[in-house]
Amino acid sequence: MSINRTNACGTQPYDQTYSLGYQVHHEDWSPFPRVNYLRQKFLDRQYYIDVERLRLVTEAYKKHEAAPSKLKCAYAFENILLNVTLHIYEQDLILGEIAAPAKAAPIYPEFSVNWIIDEILNSPFEERAHDQFYIRNDEERKEIVELCRYWQGKTVEDLINSRLEEDQIKGSQLGKRIFQTNLYHYAGVGHLVIDYAKLMEVGYDGMIEDAKKRYEKLDKKDPEYGDKRDFYLSMIIMHEAAKKYIERYAKLAEEYAEKEEDAKRKEELKTMAINCHQIAGGAPKTFWQALQLFNFATTLIQIESNGHSISYGRMDQWLYPFYEKDIKNGTITKEFALELLEVLYVKMNNPTKLKDKGTVLVRNGRGFGGESLTIGGVDRNGNDATNDLTMLMLEASAHTRMMNPWVCVRMHENTPYELKVKTVECIRAGYGHPKIFNDAPAIKAMMRKGMTLEEARDYAVVGCVEIDLPGKEFGWHDAAYVNTPKMMEMVVNGGRCLDCGPHCGRWERCGAIGSQLGPNTGSLETYKSFDEVLESVDKQFDYWCDQMCSSLNIIDNAHRTLKPTPYVSAFYEDCLESGKDLTEGGAKYNGIGPQASGLGTCADSLATIKQLMFDEKRYTGLQLLQAVKDNWEGHEKIYALVNSSKVHHYGNDDDYADELFKYMFECYCRHINGRKTPRGGEYSPGVYSVNANVAMGLNTNASLDGRKAYEAISDNMGPVHTDAGSHDISGPTAIVNSLTKVDHSLATNGTLMNLRFPEDAVSGIEGRDNLISLIDEIIAKNAMHVQFNIMSAKTMRAAQKKPEDYKDMLVRVAGYSAYFVELGKPLQKDLIQRTELHF
Amino acid sequence: MNGIIFNIQRFTIHDGPGMRTELFLKGCPLRCEWCSNPESWLPYIQIGVYKTKCISLKKCGLCEEACPKENVLNFTRGKLTSIDRSKCTNCLACYDACPSDAIKQWGKVMSIEECMKEIRKDIGYYERSGGGVTVSGGEPLLQSDFVAELFKICKEEGIHTCCESTLHADWREIEKILPYTDLIISDIKHMDTTIHKKYTGVDNNKILENLKKLADKNYEMILRIPIIPDVNDDMKNIEATADFILNELRNRVRTLQLLSFMRLGEEKYSSLGIPYKMENVKLNRKSFQKHINEISNYFNSRGIHCLVGTKEKQ
Repeated sequence: MSINRTNACGTQPYDQTYSLGYQVHHEDWSPFPRVNYLRQKFLDRQYYIDVERLRLVTEAYKKHEAAPSKLKCAYAFENILLNVTLHIYEQDLILGEIAAPAKAAPIYPEFSVNWIIDEILNSPFEERAHDQFYIRNDEERKEIVELCRYWQGKTVEDLINSRLEEDQIKGSQLGKRIFQTNLYHYAGVGHLVIDYAKLMEVGYDGMIEDAKKRYEKLDKKDPEYGDKRDFYLSMIIMHEAAKKYIERYAKLAEEYAEKEEDAKRKEELKTMAINCHQIAGGAPKTFWQALQLFNFATTLIQIESNGHSISYGRMDQWLYPFYEKDIKNGTITKEFALELLEVLYVKMNNPTKLKDKGTVLVRNGRGFGGESLTIGGVDRNGNDATNDLTMLMLEASAHTRMMNPWVCVRMHENTPYELKVKTVECIRAGYGHPKIFNDAPAIKAMMRKGMTLEEARDYAVVGCVEIDLPGKEFGWHDAAYVNTPKMMEMVVNGGRCLDCGPHCGRWERCGAIGSQLGPNTGSLETYKSFDEVLESVDKQFDYWCDQMCSSLNIIDNAHRTLKPTPYVSAFYEDCLESGKDLTEGGAKYNGIGPQASGLGTCADSLATIKQLMFDEKRYTGLQLLQAVKDNWEGHEKIYALVNSSKVHHYGNDDDYADELFKYMFECYCRHINGRKTPRGGEYSPGVYSVNANVAMGLNTNASLDGRKAYEAISDNMGPVHTDAGSHDISGPTAIVNSLTKVDHSLATNGTLMNLRFPEDAVSGIEGRDNLISLIDEIIAKNAMHVQFNIMSAKTMRAAQKKPEDYKDMLVRVAGYSAYFVELGKPLQKDLIQRTELHF
Repeated sequence: MNGIIFNIQRFTIHDGPGMRTELFLKGCPLRCEWCSNPESWLPYIQIGVYKTKCISLKKCGLCEEACPKENVLNFTRGKLTSIDRSKCTNCLACYDACPSDAIKQWGKVMSIEECMKEIRKDIGYYERSGGGVTVSGGEPLLQSDFVAELFKICKEEGIHTCCESTLHADWREIEKILPYTDLIISDIKHMDTTIHKKYTGVDNNKILENLKKLADKNYEMILRIPIIPDVNDDMKNIEATADFILNELRNRVRTLQLLSFMRLGEEKYSSLGIPYKMENVKLNRKSFQKHINEISNYFNSRGIHCLVGTKEKQ
C-alpha cells in the first residue's frame, strides 16, 4: 500500500502525543496562557437568559406591524444591531457576540413563545434537571413574560399549529411520537454554510453593491417584482446595519484602548479597532481580520435566527490565502496564527440557545450546537487539499478541548500519513473530537442530490453528520427524527400501540371510538410468511413518512411566510441572482433531511421474528406478541433467548441479521428519497439519532429485539444494547463490516457510526497505528462517517460519582461532543451501555 | 481436515503484530497454575455453567427437560450451579435447550474451510496493519497437522501466520508447521525443571531444547515470561533466564515480553467446576509492577530487548 506524505505542518511535530484519554484536573492544555485563561473564564461563567434581543425585536415589530415579513425581519435586525449592548472581554482578540453577553441565551420570539411563558410560570428553567438557565431578576422575568404575550398568535409555531390536521399530529411530538419535528416547529432552521470565500473577497460593501445592481435591474413586468424588491431592500438594510454594528465595535475598542494602561493590551485593542474599521465594509487584509470578519458574519446569522448548526465550511481552504500571505510577508508567525485560532475556538462556544424542555430531551446541551468545522479532503480537482491550517486547526482543537468547534476531518484514499497521525493523536486524547468523514461515499451522496462532481468534492459537514454544499444548499438538515421501532410496534400489532388502552391521552379520539393510531397492515397473529412481515413494514413506513413529510412541508411553509432570513440568504449566489430568500427556495439545492433512529432495534426485532417464528418455528406469532405486550413479564425464556447469542444479531458480521438491517436502511431511504420539498428540491434521508434514541425509547413499548419498554432504542447506525447486554459481541471489525454492508451514499443526509474504546486499547505507538489502520479500512469499506470515544465505562462511572472533578470532560454523543456531567442521567446510562470495544 | 477450537477472537492486538484473528485450539499437556484458559485443557467439547445467567428452574427448566440422564444438573436455590462431570457425557442437549447463555459450549469442531471463512472476513484489516492470523491454545501443536494445513492456505492467500505455543512438543510436530509459520511466540516459565514441573505439570527439557533448535535456525521468535509472584520472579531465575537467552539462544529473540500475573479466568474455572489455585494470591499491584519494571531493566542491561506487556515497541 502506498503512503502519501505532506509537508504541511503546524507548530508541533505531526506525531505529537497529547494525552491518553481524559485527565482529571488538567486545565492548561494550550501553550498560550491567554487561551487557558479565556477557556477557564468560559467554563466558570453561568448560563443566563438575556432579554435584550426580545425587547428590541418586539419594539421593531410593533413599529412595523403592517410591513411585509422580510422587511419586518430587516427592521428588527437593524434595531438590534444599532442598539444592542456590546461586549469586549479581557484578553480577547476577536470581537462579536450574538446580541447577548457570552454564554447568555437571547430570545427569538418570532418562532415560538408559548413554551417560554409556560416554563417560566410552571417549570422554571432554573429548576431543570439538566440544561438549566438563569434569569437575572424578577423584573426581567416579568418583562420576558409580558413581551412574549405580545407574540402569542403571531409566531411560526402558531401558524404551523393552525394548519396541522389530526393524522399529522397523532404521530408527531404532539401525539405518540413516531416522528419528531420539534426542532423547526419551535425554532429557526439554520444548518447551513455560507460562501465565506466570497465574503472574504468582497466584504460587506461588495455584498451590498452586488444587491443594489440586481435591484436596479429588476423588471416591473416580473409578477414577482414586489417580492424580489422586498428581498433586496431587506438584505441591503441588514448588511448596512452589519457595517454600522462593526463600526460600533471599532469605536468601543478605541475607547477601551484609550483607557488601557498595559502597553501590550493597548496595542492589541488598537489593532482590534483597526481590524473592525477595515472589515466594516471592506475585505480583510490580514489573517486576523479574516477571522474577525468570519466571527461577525457568523454570529450575525445567529442574531437573525436561532437555527442551529451554522457551520464554518472548509475553513482550512477558504482561510488559507490570508494565512499564506501573512506568513510570506512576515505579518504573523505560525505561533500567533495558532493563538488566534485558539482564541476563536474558545469564542465559538459563547453562542447559547434556550430550548424548550421537550427539545432538550432530544438534544441535550446549551450551546447552539452543530457548528462543524471541516478540514482536509480533496479539492475540486480531486487532489488532496491538506495545508498548514489543516494541521494548525487540529492543534488548536487539542489545545482547547471544548464543545466547539466540531472539527471534522475529511479523509480519502490519498490522505497524507501525517494528517492521519495528527487526527488519531487528537482522537485518543479522548475529548471527543475530531470526527472523520469519508470523501468517496460522501461525494457519491452529494451527486445523488444532483450536484456536479466538482461541487460534490467541495462538500462541508453541517451539524452532526450532514453533508452540505456551502453557499449553494439550503438542506433543512436535521428536519425530524423518526422513531422506527415505534413504527415496528404498528407492524407487530395491527397498527396499534402495544399498550393501547384508556390510560392513553389519545384514547377518546382513538381506541375508544374504534379507531387506531396507524393503518392495520397485519399483526404477528396474522402473518403467514416473513415476506408478509416485510411488506407490512413497507406499508407502515409509507404511511408515516407521508404524515411526517406533509407536516414538514407545512412547517417549511410557515418559515417562508413569517420568518424569512434575508441577511444570510444574501450569501447565497442563487438567492442574490433570483431575488428569492432561502425560505422561498432561493438556493440552488433545497432539500429536507429527516433522520431514522433505531434501525438496529428494528433489524434485531425482525431477526427474532424470522428466526424464532418462521425458520425454527420455536414460538408462534401470538406468543411473541404477547411477550412484548406483557413487557416480557412471565416470558423470561423468550426474553433470555432473544438477548442471547443463539439469536442472530446485527453488528456481528452475520449476514442473517445484517441483511435485515439492510432491508430497514433501504426501506427508510426509499420512502424519503425523491419526495419533493416546497422549495423545489428533494427530500434527503439520514440515518442518525444524535441522542434522540434515549428520549424515543421513553415513548416506545417493549420490542422484539429483547428491549424492555422505555429503554433507549439503538443509536445511529449502531447495533442494539439492551439492559440484558450488548448484542454486538464480535469486536470492532465485525461491527464495521456489518455497518458497511449497506450503501451509505443512499442516506444523502448522512450516516453516523460510533465506536468506543477504553483508553488502554489505543495506548502506545502500536495503539496509534492500529487505530490508523482501523480508520483506513473503514474508509476503504465506504462508511460515510466514523467517530470515536476513547473513554472506558469506568471513567464515565467515576465522573458520575465525582462530577466536580470531571467538569470539562467531553464525551462524544453523536455527531457532537458534550460535557458528560451536564447530560441527563438516561443519556449518561446509554453512553455507558454502548459497547466498549477492545482490540 | 477438522480441528477443535474453543474460541475465535477477531481484532486482537496482543499476540503478534498488527490486528489479528486469533484461533484458540483446545487441548493442552500443561496445567499451569496461573492459566487463564482452563477451558483449553481437555481436547474435547465440554459444557460450561454460568450460574449468574441462569433465569431459574421455575421460570425455565428447559435444560432439565433436555438432559437424557438423571441428576446431572445441580441446582442451588433454584438456579443451575454445576454439572456432575462424572455422569455428563457432553452430549450438549442442555446447551441446545438453554435460552440464556447460562450453559456454554466450550469447543467446536471446525473444518479448515470454516476457519478460513472467518479468517477472510478481516483480511483488509490485516493488510493495513501488518496483522494476520495467530493460533494459540491450549497447545496448538497437539493439532499440528491441522495448523500446518491451515497456515499453508493462509500463506497461499498472503496472510501472515503466527503460532503461540508452549513448545512442549516433539520436534517433528514443530517441523510440520515451520514451513508455513512466520512467527513463533513462546514462553519460558521457569529455568529450574523441578520447579517448572511443580507449577505446570511438565518439565522444561523439551521446551528449552526446542527453543535452541529454533534459535539455531534463526527463526523469528517472541519470547515471554509470565511473571508470577513467588514462583519465577526471583532474581536467581531471572538471571538464569538471561543467561539462557544470551548463551543458548544467542539472543536471537525479537522481543522478550514480561506479562504480569493477572487474576483472569476465575469465572471460567468456576464454570468448569475446577478449583482456582491462585485464589489466595494477594499482591500489591503497585510494588509488583515496580518489581517487573526492575526485571525488565535488568534484561535490557544484559542486552536483551525486553518490554513489559505484549508490545514490541516502546
